[in-house]
Amino acid sequence: MTIDITRFSLALPSKGRLMEDALDLFAAAGLPISKLGDERGYRGTISGMSEVEVVFLSATEITRHLRDGAIDLGITGEDLLREHIADLAHHVDIALRLGFGAADVVCAVPECWIDVSTMEDLDEVSVRFHEAHERRLRVATKYLNLTRVFFAEKGVRGYRIVESLGATEAAPAAGAAEVIVDITSTGETLLANNLRILDDGVVLQSEAVAARAHHVNQDPARARIADLILDDLRGAI
Amino acid sequence: MPGKSAELRSALDTQAKTITKLFVNAGYDYIVPDILQPADIFLDRSGEDIRTRTYVFTDPAGQELCLRPDLTVPTCRYHLQHGDIDGEVTRYCYSGPAFRFQPDDDDDLRPREFDQVGLEHYGAPDAEKAEAEIIALTIEAVRGAGLENFQVKIGDLGLFNALLASIDMPERWRRRLRHHFWRPQTFHETLERLVAEPGASVGVEMEFLGGWVSDRREEIASTLEHLLSLRAIPLVGGRSVDEIATRVLEKVEDRRAPPLSESSAALIRDYIEVAGPPRDALHRMMKLIVSADLDLSTGMAAFARRVTLMQERGVDIDACTFLAEFGRNLEYYTGFVFQIEYQTPAGAMAIAGGGRYDTLLSDIGARQPVPAVGCAIHTERLLAAVQAEAGLQ
Repeated sequence: MTIDITRFSLALPSKGRLMEDALDLFAAAGLPISKLGDERGYRGTISGMSEVEVVFLSATEITRHLRDGAIDLGITGEDLLREHIADLAHHVDIALRLGFGAADVVCAVPECWIDVSTMEDLDEVSVRFHEAHERRLRVATKYLNLTRVFFAEKGVRGYRIVESLGATEAAPAAGAAEVIVDITSTGETLLANNLRILDDGVVLQSEAVAARAHHVNQDPARARIADLILDDLRGAI
Repeated sequence: MPGKSAELRSALDTQAKTITKLFVNAGYDYIVPDILQPADIFLDRSGEDIRTRTYVFTDPAGQELCLRPDLTVPTCRYHLQHGDIDGEVTRYCYSGPAFRFQPDDDDDLRPREFDQVGLEHYGAPDAEKAEAEIIALTIEAVRGAGLENFQVKIGDLGLFNALLASIDMPERWRRRLRHHFWRPQTFHETLERLVAEPGASVGVEMEFLGGWVSDRREEIASTLEHLLSLRAIPLVGGRSVDEIATRVLEKVEDRRAPPLSESSAALIRDYIEVAGPPRDALHRMMKLIVSADLDLSTGMAAFARRVTLMQERGVDIDACTFLAEFGRNLEYYTGFVFQIEYQTPAGAMAIAGGGRYDTLLSDIGARQPVPAVGCAIHTERLLAAVQAEAGLQ
């Protein structure tokens, strides 16, 4: 998809609850978005703001485009921003937390590990596991960077990451990993898979955010549009 | 990364050639280990953490490779493939590029690609003699490159382990202290907890199993098995009921064990704070150990002998600094460690570092433990230090 750089580009998630909640929020803020073409179109407009081009992208793509400066303002998950942009503060401002899409990125272990309730326990078990099984404890996750940073902070070293592209919570039962780092809103999926969140295992409390690319601040016209949209959204949260 | 000028490259090459010649003349075989290494060995050895500072990638065949972050592991692998791995004394030296991730690609003193010249000494029956040889040759190399003002820091992880071994406490507490040695904050917290309430983190579930049921691992295991089936909790995650029960029992034992005495904790703290010229430090450690009525004579004798051997090889021992806590954060080292630093306006810059690593070769495939000691010189920094010093005169 090509994005018209002469116009202000606003990116919204292209599917699911995140898209619906975002569209509702814009409507409530007096910025109703209408999609161009049929319902499945990937572009839209805000009535009364012809200089704004609305694009619908996957939340991950929005993150990447924000990092590269290809879009000006984007609605996406904080977890994705923190995972995919190593030096977030240099590329993007989290301008507004939107109050929906709340979910925690957590570290969970099999429920049967009754001796493991903290990250410190996990550290000790990872050392024992290596000695007993001659391989490293495996952590299934799609959050490679968040996991590395969090585990390093907690002093857990001897583990290996298995990249998971879906159904992470099934990895321990399937024998693909021992531990997982995944996102959960209610914890029910983890429970159903006999996994337990560690007491100090919350990696990130995430929600949907409006993120503003840094380059916007260098262009007064763009900055003004961003301010307008963000002010209206702020009033509707 | 704009690259190096021909002038800088040639200065580095000349310096590397001089140092390599010194090492070869001292009996070290010059080898050329591969730059591309299988990532697996590094990941299994050090865990996921190395990805944060190593260039790891997947080749078209799907194999995970890395650009070597240093030449120590590559030299070990070379030795396992080409060397006589059954106990002969082997000496290697090398010179070549290594790669480490740095967030800032403009920092001349933290380059992403840099050259290391180093030496490794395997299978020496006389540990202290080999250690003295390595540190003396490294200092000679640094001097030979033209650097006059530098500091030498030394440490001894073996002495720390010997100290722990001589203090009365459960073995698992020693493991915990050794494991956390590299994180000063956590180390001190762990020490405090062992004094205050060693079993604080025992969960309710575990207390039920461990305290109410039994002191025996087998009974804990069978009760756990029963409990899991009663609640329809599947046994997943690769650890057996026995492994879990073993650790439950240990945690329960922690709770019942008499806490670490305050005097033992104080001794450990006092030991970690020992710093100064090696002979003064030795004196201070002797006093600590004698007043605590412990026997550390083997470790102390080795320390004293190493000091004497270093002196015999021409090391100015009083210009060295011993730091009991030095060696934290240096991964595979198991005993004697050292670092050579040059003082810059921005702080100390590490020019060379090395030490003993007796478990590395067996960890990556040697059939028996191989004593090993080595060192690597960061040539870009050495050259920068030499030039800075010349500029000051």
